[in-house]
Amino acid sequence: MSANSNRIVRQTLTIARRDFVATVFTPTFLLFLLSPVIMLSFGLIGGLGASSMATSAAEKARIVAIVAPAQQAAMRATDARLRKLFGRSDQPPVLTFDTPGADPQAQARRAFSGAGPDTTAALYGDLSAPKILYGGQGRGDSRYLAELAESTLRADRTGAAPVSTATFTSVARARASSGGHSQAAFFSVFGIFFLSLLLSGQAVGTMAEERNNKVVEILAAAVPLEAVFFGKLLGMFGSAVLFVGFWGTLASQITSILPAGMAGGLGEIGPAIGLPLFVPLFFAYFAMAYMLLGAVFLGVGAQATTPRELQMLSLPITIVQVLMFSLALRAAGGNDGWVTRFAEIFPFSSPFAMAAHAANFADVWPHLLALAWQALWVAIAITLGARAFRRGVLQSGSGSWFKGRSKAAVVHEGVA
Amino acid sequence: MAGDLAISASGLVKNFGGKRVVDGVDVAVPTGAIYGVLGPNGAGKTTTLRMLLGIIEPDGGRRTLLGHNHPRDASDRVGYLPEERGLYPAMRAKDAIAFMGALRGLDLKTGRKRAADLMEHAGLGYAADTKIRKLSKGMAQLVQLLGSVVHQPELLVLDEPFSGLDPVNQERLEALILAERNRGATIVMSTHVMAHAERLCDRLTIIAGGKHRFEGTVAQARGLLPMRAHYVPDRDGPDLAAHLPEGAVHGKDGWRFPVPDGGVEAALRRLIDGGHGIAGLSIERPGLHDAFVRIVGAAAAEGKQETVA
Repeated sequence: MSANSNRIVRQTLTIARRDFVATVFTPTFLLFLLSPVIMLSFGLIGGLGASSMATSAAEKARIVAIVAPAQQAAMRATDARLRKLFGRSDQPPVLTFDTPGADPQAQARRAFSGAGPDTTAALYGDLSAPKILYGGQGRGDSRYLAELAESTLRADRTGAAPVSTATFTSVARARASSGGHSQAAFFSVFGIFFLSLLLSGQAVGTMAEERNNKVVEILAAAVPLEAVFFGKLLGMFGSAVLFVGFWGTLASQITSILPAGMAGGLGEIGPAIGLPLFVPLFFAYFAMAYMLLGAVFLGVGAQATTPRELQMLSLPITIVQVLMFSLALRAAGGNDGWVTRFAEIFPFSSPFAMAAHAANFADVWPHLLALAWQALWVAIAITLGARAFRRGVLQSGSGSWFKGRSKAAVVHEGVA
Repeated sequence: MAGDLAISASGLVKNFGGKRVVDGVDVAVPTGAIYGVLGPNGAGKTTTLRMLLGIIEPDGGRRTLLGHNHPRDASDRVGYLPEERGLYPAMRAKDAIAFMGALRGLDLKTGRKRAADLMEHAGLGYAADTKIRKLSKGMAQLVQLLGSVVHQPELLVLDEPFSGLDPVNQERLEALILAERNRGATIVMSTHVMAHAERLCDRLTIIAGGKHRFEGTVAQARGLLPMRAHYVPDRDGPDLAAHLPEGAVHGKDGWRFPVPDGGVEAALRRLIDGGHGIAGLSIERPGLHDAFVRIVGAAAAEGKQETVA
């Protein structure tokens, strides 16, 4: 490496170190580090609220069977058996019984207008040809009542004892399933998108700090602007790695505290390329996504002079990033179509889509190519950002970039 | 290095938004000198310095800095105090100095040690661990100057270093600049305060309206104006003005007139022959301030003529 390159590397790392220290060793960073706790807390509170509302709604609903008392016990037993087929959140409303009067149809209709729990569906008539009324929300419940009638009669005809007794054994797969690959792809895309969006947004205001403090003149006099930009990105990336490392370590311990069945389910989720290779690839694509998005945020943010401008400039980038996320989600499906290929090649969706590729396919060489391609675009984004800053903020060069280059060339030719 | 010049530039040109702000400026800074870049506000001094340092690229002309055509190649050997002072407010003073040294190739450990020594020497040792945001403006400015010299540069460029400083800190700064020169550094400083330039600079250039107007020593600048005689008559008389040389100006403390080519003797003889006594007589050398006003005034008049034309 030449002395010049050495100097630039050293200057870049000096700036990165300053930014890392200035970001991490502050009380604000602690708040930032713990921000997922706040997000999770809100999520938990929201979830509890939603669950409470759902429970409350379920408790206020019922299905009604207007059948003869002789049939009610059998029907109750069948209901208990059928309910085992439903998950906790999918359970039909509570089953209640009425004894048929002179006009069971009118009785069923009255069940929908009476006080007490809301009736979603009501059955009356002979069980071999039951009549079922249902309300706006009760279509599914009406089908359940039909099945209940059918199963009750069937049990009545074949006898009370079950004709088949199954034995259940949970089996853990030796390797991830195809569905597990797709799920891993989705989690990868979502994880990289979420992390890069959450963390790289910090970069938007970092050059504003230099501009407000007038430090930019000191930096620009000593260090090439490209090195200033890259150093700042590295510094911010360092704090992002700290963040990801902290939460990644916590998340990796989740399987050890989950119930055995759930942990087994998670075991089916896995990348096609294999976990030992997927982990560094995921990190590399996260780094590329962060650097790419961060470079754009940094370059655009460097042009802003006020916080309002910063906010206004950040929004379009975020929208584009969400578009990239949608594009990459398509790639997560594991289809080999042109949209997937486009998402893998287009620089700003490439890190997400290639992470999904690693989850869906076992080939390694495309990743080497993709990482080199993305690194090239990181360099392009940094260079363009630095040039725009030099021309727009430091007011170097006149007119267009090409005009500026040709003039600079004349100047240096003259010097030589 | 080109001869004994730390900086050599000729015909520097810079346009901003179609307006030419620097128009063919030449600079030749001898190694080891304190070199002043003088000019009124908006003359193009800062733009010239920024071009010399490679912060911005010139639109025309050529420059060499410490023997390099690309100024940034000599970055580790240069110190710079910009006109707009800039420090990270949350940094401690000695860390800020060490950081600026680190940008110029000095390792942080050595930088911190030198920062503490420099601050001690400048009478600021007690503030070494104080955060920048808690320092007064003058102290922060001195800290920034120390940051620009902590790596012991061969060339120190100071843009309006005295602006905003009180007299005590101005004196401290002058001492620091002289100490740097004694260490062997070449110093380039821009200013529009003539007293500092007169006391410190070995050579200077005067820029006005973006153009180079003068280059030479302080004595040469002062030599652009004739010496003046300060005459105090023993009494005022109605015909006194008629016996004085052309260009005589009456002031509160007597009369002043340019010393004629042949000396003042002939003028004095005319006064005495006219019956006017001499209560006081002294010969005054014009100061840099007068020379500056004359050069810049002529440039302004030229600019007006150009505008009219």
